[in-house]
Amino acid sequence: MTVPLLELRNIETFYGPIMAIRGVSLKVLEGEVVTVLGANGAGKTTLLKTASGALDSRKGQVLLDGNEIQNRDPDWVARQGIAHVPEGREVFPLLSVADNLAMGAFNRADKDAVAKDLETVYDYFPVLRKLSGKLAVYLSGGQQQMLAIGRGYMAKPRLLLLDEPSLGLSPALVGEIFAIIQKLNQEQGLTILLVEQNANAALRASQRGYVMEVGGMVMDGDSDVLLQSDDIREFYLGKKDEGVRGRRRWKKRKTWR
Amino acid sequence: MTMPEVKSHDCDTLPKLFLKMSAVRGDRIAMREKDFGIWQSYSWNDYREYALAIANGLLSLGLQRGDVVSIQSEDCKEWLFADLGGQLAGGVVNGVYPTYQARQVEHTLIDSNCRYLFVEDEEQLDKFLEIENELPDISKVFVFDWKGLRGFEHEKVVPIETLYEAGKTYGTQHPHRVERIVADGRPDDLAILIYTSGTTGMPKGSMISQRYILFQINLAPDAVRQTETDELLTYLPLCHVAERIFSAWIPVSTGATINFAENSETVAQDLVELSPTYMFAVPRVLEKFYSRITTAMSEATWIGRKVFDAAMRVGMRRAEVLIAGEQPTALLNMQFQLADRIVFRNIKKALGLDRIKGLVSGAAPISRGLLQWFLAMGIPVDEAYGQTEAGVVTATRQGVIRLGTVGPAAAGVDIEISDQGEVLLRSPGNFSGYLNQPEKTAETLVDGWVHTGDIGTLDEEGNLSITDRLKDIIITAGGKNITPSVFENELKFSPYVSDAVVIGDKRKYLTCLVMIDQENVEHYAQTHAIPFTDYKSLCASKEIVALIGTELERVNEGFSSVETVKKFRLIDILLTAEDEELTPTMKLKRSFVNEKYSNLIESMYGE
Repeated sequence: MTVPLLELRNIETFYGPIMAIRGVSLKVLEGEVVTVLGANGAGKTTLLKTASGALDSRKGQVLLDGNEIQNRDPDWVARQGIAHVPEGREVFPLLSVADNLAMGAFNRADKDAVAKDLETVYDYFPVLRKLSGKLAVYLSGGQQQMLAIGRGYMAKPRLLLLDEPSLGLSPALVGEIFAIIQKLNQEQGLTILLVEQNANAALRASQRGYVMEVGGMVMDGDSDVLLQSDDIREFYLGKKDEGVRGRRRWKKRKTWR
Repeated sequence: MTMPEVKSHDCDTLPKLFLKMSAVRGDRIAMREKDFGIWQSYSWNDYREYALAIANGLLSLGLQRGDVVSIQSEDCKEWLFADLGGQLAGGVVNGVYPTYQARQVEHTLIDSNCRYLFVEDEEQLDKFLEIENELPDISKVFVFDWKGLRGFEHEKVVPIETLYEAGKTYGTQHPHRVERIVADGRPDDLAILIYTSGTTGMPKGSMISQRYILFQINLAPDAVRQTETDELLTYLPLCHVAERIFSAWIPVSTGATINFAENSETVAQDLVELSPTYMFAVPRVLEKFYSRITTAMSEATWIGRKVFDAAMRVGMRRAEVLIAGEQPTALLNMQFQLADRIVFRNIKKALGLDRIKGLVSGAAPISRGLLQWFLAMGIPVDEAYGQTEAGVVTATRQGVIRLGTVGPAAAGVDIEISDQGEVLLRSPGNFSGYLNQPEKTAETLVDGWVHTGDIGTLDEEGNLSITDRLKDIIITAGGKNITPSVFENELKFSPYVSDAVVIGDKRKYLTCLVMIDQENVEHYAQTHAIPFTDYKSLCASKEIVALIGTELERVNEGFSSVETVKKFRLIDILLTAEDEELTPTMKLKRSFVNEKYSNLIESMYGE
C-alpha cells in the first residue's frame, strides 16, 4: 500500500477544556482532492489547523509521508510542503496583490521558479494580474479568495489545505473557484484537502469525501457515492422526500449509511 | 368459572378509580413534563380536567362504547390524558409505537378497526396521511403538537385543543354523561389493546380487560413497592405493557408522581435532574449505567481507580453476604458506609440514582453480574417477570436476594411448569385473547392458563427462574439443547457489547452475531489509537474484532465445550429503533436477524 501524503490518526484537539475534535482519522493520497463536509462547529477548521500546526493536538498523530509532524510550529510545517488557506481568506489588506503573492513564497530561495509560479497564478487567475498593483483590501470577496488560493500556491506546496473557499461567494463565483481548484489538481498535480459546507460543489470537485459531526467522523467514501447517500442528500443538499403534505419539516434521524 | 372480584379503593374499573382518586387528590402534583427546558407540573385536577375534556370531546363526535381510539406518540402528558379520556368515554385504547413505519401503523389501525387517532406531531401525522386511503374508518385525527402545521387543512385532522374545546362545551351541555358511562363499565369490558411485535409476521393485538388492569394495579404495594411519595421517571414506550403498568396505571392508585423524560435521547440527563425514587428499567439501560461508570473509571487517575477498586471490593463482599441471606458484620457495615460516603454516593449522584428506592428490571433477562454490581453499590435491583398476555406476575421480595430468579408469584397468580418445562400462568389478570386471531388465542390461552412460551423452573421457595424462550432453544446438529440467552446475557455484560444473538440451530457449532456498543468501542479505539472513520470501519478494524474476540473468549470460559461460541461476526450497520431488526426497546429480533444477516451467518459456517 502506498503511504498517504497526509494521514491523521485519532486526532484529539482541545480549546481549553473543550474537546473540539474527538478522535478523527483521515487519509489524503498524493494527487487527490479530498473534501471534509460538516456543519458549523463540526470541527472542520480545527482539523485543518491541527494538520498545518496552527493548533496542537492533545492526542494522535499527523503524518506527512508517514513521518510524524504533529505539534510542530506552523512555519516549519509550511516548509515541509503544507500550505494552509484559512477561512475568510485573511489576505494582507494593506499589501498589494503582488506583495501578497510574494508573501506566499516567503520561504523559497529559488527566484526563477518563484517568478514562473507567479506567472502560473496569473494564468489561472487573470483578474489578479490586472489588479496586481492594487491593495488587497480593495478586492472583492471572490478576488480575495482567488488571491488567498494563489498565495497558497506560491508556497509551491505538496498539499494545499483550503478552508471553505466558497464562504460568502455568489453561486457563479463558487462555480468558478471550484473549476480552478479542479484545474490546479489536474494540470499541476496539486493535492488538495478542502473543508466545505457547500457539499454539492465540493463533492463534485473531489474524488473522496468525509463527513464530520460534532467533532467526529461519521461517514467516508468516494464522492459520487456520498452524493447519492440519503443523509447527505437530505442534510447537505436539501433534497428531501417531500412527503405527503408537499412539504416536510421534521428531520429524520441521521444514520449515515 | 367465575372470576374473583378485583378492586382497588373499592373500584372495579380504571375509569371509576381515576374519577375517585383524582377528586381526592385535587391539587397534588400528578405529573411533570419539560417544556422549553423548564419542568412544568400538572395536578390531579388538571389530569382529570384534560381527560374529561377528551372523553366529552370524543362523545360529542359520536364515540360508541367499544370504539377504538389509538395513540401514536412518544410518552408525554397528552398520552395519558388520551389514554384515560378514551377509557372514560367507554372507548378501547390502543397504543401505537411512534417508531413504527407507516406500513406497520396501517396494520394495527386496520386490525383494531380504529375510529379516532391521536398523533404526536407532524412527523407522526405524515405516517397517517401516507396511508389514509386505506383507513376510511378513521373519522378524526388529533395532533398534540401543531408545530409546523400552520396553514395545513384537512377535514379529518385538527389540533388537540379543538377537541378540548369541543369536550368542554359538550361537558357543560351533558354534565353527567361521562359519569354514567363510567358507572356502567364492567370489569370484563375490553379496556385496551396492546400490539406485541410478533417476531414472525405482523403484530398481534392482545385484548386487555379492566379486570386485568385492576389486577395489575393491586400489585402495589406488596409486589410493586411504589408509594404516594415516589417520583417516577417515565421513558420507555407507554405502548409497552410494563411502562403502562408502572407509570400509567399503578400511580392512579398509589398517587406517585410521574415525570416524563424529555425524549428518548435525554434520559440520562433527565435522570440526573430528577433523581427519581422509583423507576422501571430494561436491562439495557442498567447495562449502560454500568459501562458508563467502568469507562469513566478506566480513565480516572491512578489514585481514583485504587479508591474505587477498594470501595468495590467492600461493596462486593457485602453483596455476597446479603446474597447468602446473612447479616453483614458491624465492621463490614462500617466499611461500606465509608465506601458509600467516599465513592458510591458520588457515582449514584452522577447517574441520578442517589434517591432511588425501587429500581425494577424487567422485559428481558438480566445478567447476574450486573445485579451484583448494583447491589455492591447499595442499590438492590428488583426483578419483575411478566408478559403482555398476563401482566406482571412475579416480583422479587424486598430484602430477599435470590439472584437469577424473578421472585415468587404475586398474590392471586398461579404458576405451573408444564411437562415441556414451559411456564404456565393463571390469574384474574390474564388477557382475554388476541383480537381477530382465535387460533392464536387457542394456542396461548388453554383452560384459563396462559402458555407463556418461556421455559422456567420453580425453586423450593417458589421463586421462578426463566431459562429462555421455548422457541429460541437451539438444538445443535449434535443434538445438544442450548439456551442462547444465557450466553448472550453474559456477553452483553461486556461494556463493548450492546446486543448479541447466538446462532446454531441444526448446525455443527455455535456462532454469534454481535452489535457493538458504539460509544464505548469508539472510546476504546480512541484511547488505543486505532484509526477509524465511521461505524462500518470501526467494526472492520482488526483491533476491534480482536477486542470482541477477547470478550467472547472470557464468556466462553464459563461454558462447556459444546456450549461455547466458535465464531462471531459484528453487525456493521448502526441500527436505530426505526429499523425492523430492533424491537422498540432496542433488542435484536432473533428471527429477523437470522434472515437479514443470513450471508454473514453462512460465512461463519463455510469451510
